[in-house]
Amino acid sequence: MSISQMKKSLTARIVQEKIYNLLVQGKRLDGRSPTDIRPINIVTGLVEKADGSALVSIGGTKILVGIKTELGSPYSDRPREGSFTVNAELLPLASISFEPGPPDERGVELARVVDRSIRESKCIDLEKLCLIEGEKAYILFIDIYVLDYDGNYYDPSTIAVLAALATAKIPKYEVVDGKIQKTGEYFNLQLQSLPFTVTFGIIREKFLVDPQIEEESALDVSVIIGVDEKNNVISIQKNSPGLLPENLLEQMIEIALEKGTYIRQKFCEILKINI
Amino acid sequence: MKDEKIRLINEEGIRIDGRRPEELRPLRIEIGVLDKSDGSAYVELGKTKIFAAVFGPREVHPKHLALPDRALLNCRYHMTSFSVDERKPLGMTRREIELSKVIREALESVVFLEEFPRTSIDVYVEVIQADGGTRTAGLTAASLALAEAGIPIADLVAAVAVGKVEGHIVLDLCDLEDKFGEADMPIAIAPRLNSIVLLQLNGRFSKEEFKKALELAKKGIHEIYQKQKEALKNKFSEVSLMEV
Amino acid sequence: MPLYFSEREIVLPGQLLSDDSKRSGEGTYVLGNKVYASTVGFATIKNDKVCVIPFKGAYTPQPGDRVIGIVIDVKPNGFEVSLGRHLIATIRMPDKKEVQALNLKVGEVVYAYVKESGLRGVFLEAGEKIKKITSGLLVSMHPSKIPRLIGRRGSMINMIKKETGCDMLVGRNGFIVIKGPSPLSEYAAVSAIKLIEKEAHSQGLTERVENLIRSIIGGEAGYER
Repeated sequence: MSISQMKKSLTARIVQEKIYNLLVQGKRLDGRSPTDIRPINIVTGLVEKADGSALVSIGGTKILVGIKTELGSPYSDRPREGSFTVNAELLPLASISFEPGPPDERGVELARVVDRSIRESKCIDLEKLCLIEGEKAYILFIDIYVLDYDGNYYDPSTIAVLAALATAKIPKYEVVDGKIQKTGEYFNLQLQSLPFTVTFGIIREKFLVDPQIEEESALDVSVIIGVDEKNNVISIQKNSPGLLPENLLEQMIEIALEKGTYIRQKFCEILKINI
Repeated sequence: MKDEKIRLINEEGIRIDGRRPEELRPLRIEIGVLDKSDGSAYVELGKTKIFAAVFGPREVHPKHLALPDRALLNCRYHMTSFSVDERKPLGMTRREIELSKVIREALESVVFLEEFPRTSIDVYVEVIQADGGTRTAGLTAASLALAEAGIPIADLVAAVAVGKVEGHIVLDLCDLEDKFGEADMPIAIAPRLNSIVLLQLNGRFSKEEFKKALELAKKGIHEIYQKQKEALKNKFSEVSLMEV
Repeated sequence: MPLYFSEREIVLPGQLLSDDSKRSGEGTYVLGNKVYASTVGFATIKNDKVCVIPFKGAYTPQPGDRVIGIVIDVKPNGFEVSLGRHLIATIRMPDKKEVQALNLKVGEVVYAYVKESGLRGVFLEAGEKIKKITSGLLVSMHPSKIPRLIGRRGSMINMIKKETGCDMLVGRNGFIVIKGPSPLSEYAAVSAIKLIEKEAHSQGLTERVENLIRSIIGGEAGYER
C-alpha cells in the first residue's frame, strides 16, 4: 500500500512562483542554467572492509555505496551467470523528510531504478562471475546509502554505484579438487558500459536538470532518464505524481544524452579510466 | 576455522596491530560534515569510521508522544551493510536496538532536555566501517554533533572500550581483540560531572583487573576529550568581535 | 566575581566560567556553587550575569519579535503558522468575520509580531499587525545568525539592500523575503545571506559581503554560464 506523502516539506507558494518565473528567463536560484549539473565529487575506497566503495556528492547531496561479495547458487534459468542485487536506504540523518524504519517506497524505488540501469546496460559481465556452472557463482550486494540530501539522490547514486564497481577488488575463489577455496588474490570487474541517470524536474512547460532541494518542492513532475555511452536510453522512471507533458519528452531525451556524456567524461577524468 | 591460534599480544606486550596496551588508535575528528542536519561529526578511530548527526529541537511525530515538560531524545545506532566482514542485511538487528538504547541513555544524562518541552531531539549514529569500539566512537561523535547543533549540554561525552586480551588489560580494542579477547568493557564519561554515562561488560574481570581497566579507560577518555575540545574550538575559530 | 574566561573567549560545554552561582545567565548552568557553559559560544557578561552567546542554537520567540511564517492550517478561530523547525505559532482570532477577512490560505506567507511565547505555545499578534506577503523570494537562514545579518544598528542589512537594490524583510526566526529589481540582484542578496551564514564569526565580514555583491552585480561571479 502506498500512501501519499503527507509530510512533504513545506513550501511557500511564492517560492513556486519565483522558481517558475526564473526558469522562464532561463535562470535558477543558485545561478545555474536549467541544464547545468552541480559540481560532482567522487572518492573511492573509503570503506576497506567493503570489496568496493564510493562516496559521491553532487552539490550538497552525498551518497555512500558499498559492495560486498558472497558465493551463492546461480539462478536456475541462468546457470552460467553470477548475479547482483541493489538495495538502498534513505538514512534519517540525511534529511528531515527521511524517517527511520524499513526502507520506504522511495528507497525501494531508488534501488530498483538503479538496478534496471545496471542490468539493461549489461555493465557487469555476469558470465565472468560464475565459478561452477549451475552450482556456485559470485553474488554482488550493492548497497546505497543516502547520507545528506540536498535534492536529486538518483544521479549521484548511479555514479557511486558505477564508481564502486569500477574500483572494486573482488576476492578470488577457485575450485581445487572439487572444493572451493579463497586464493588470497583479487580481481577487478571490467565494466562493459557506463550507464548514468539524469534527473529532470518539470514546472508547467519548463524543465530543469539536477533539481536542488528548494527546487524539488516546487516541481510539478520529476523524471529520471538513464543513458549509456552508445546513445541508448536504458531506463526511464517518472517518479512523482503530476502530469508529464508529452511534447517535452523528446527534448528531455536529447538533453539526457548530452548530460550523460558530460557525467561520463567527468567520471572517467576523476577515476582515470576509459570505457 | 583457524588452524593456528592468532596471538593477539606477543611476549613484549605488543598487540596484533603494533600498539602497546595503553595506546589509542589514531583518532580523526571532523565537525559539521553533513549540511542538512543541525549538527554533525565524523570520527575515525583506527579503521572504525562513524558519522553522527543531530536534528532538533523539532516537532514530535506522532504528536501524542510529546512530553509536556521536556524534550524527547531519540537515538538510532545503525551500521551499513558493508561496515562489517560478513555483510549485514538491511534493517535493525537486536544488537543495533540495544546499542541505540544505551547510547540514548548516555546522552540523556547530559542534555538539558527541560529547555525544550514538547519537542524531540533526534540523534543518528551511522557506522560505515566497524573495527571495534563502534558504540563508544559513535557516542564520542554524537556528543560533538549535539554541541555543534547548539543543544545545551552539561558536558561533552568521551567514550572508549577497554578490555582484557590474553591476560593483559588493553585500551581501545580493535575488532579482533573484541572477538577473541576475554573481556570488553565500553565506558563513557562526562568529565565535568565526574560521572559515567555508559557502562557495559562483556566477559570477566577480577577485582584488581577491573580497577586497572577503569584507570586505563579514564586515561584514554581524557585523551579523547582533549581532542574533542580541540576539534570544536578549531571549527569555530577565526574569532572576532561580532558586530552585534 | 572571579571569572575563569576572558571576554569574547570561545567556550565549550562543561567549561568552568565563574564561582558566583547566583549570577548564571543564558547558555550556562550551575553545578555545586560554580557556573559552567552549556553551549559552544562566546562567554560574556550581560546584565551582570555570566552568559554564553551560542554560535548556533534554536530560536526562542520573544514578545515583540518580528517573524515571517508560512500558513499551515486554517481554523474557524484562527490560523497556524510555521516559523520553521519545531516552531508552530498560532494567530487567535475569535471573530469568524476577521478570519474570513484576512483570507489566509495554506502555503501563504505572513509577516507578523510575536505576542506571547511560553509553555502554552507561541502566539502572534492578530489584527492590523499581520501582513500578507504575496510575492518575492523566500529564503531561510539559521536563526542564530540573523543578528549578524542585521548587523550593529542595521549596518549589514542596510548595506546589502543598498548594494543589491533589493527590498528585504527579515524575520527573527530565520525566514527572509527578498524582492529585487532583477533575478541578478536577488541572487546577489541570497549569496550575501549564504556567506554570512557560513562565516558569521569571522573578521572583516561586512567588507567581504560587500565585495561579493559587487562582483556578482558587476557580472564577474559567473551568474551567466
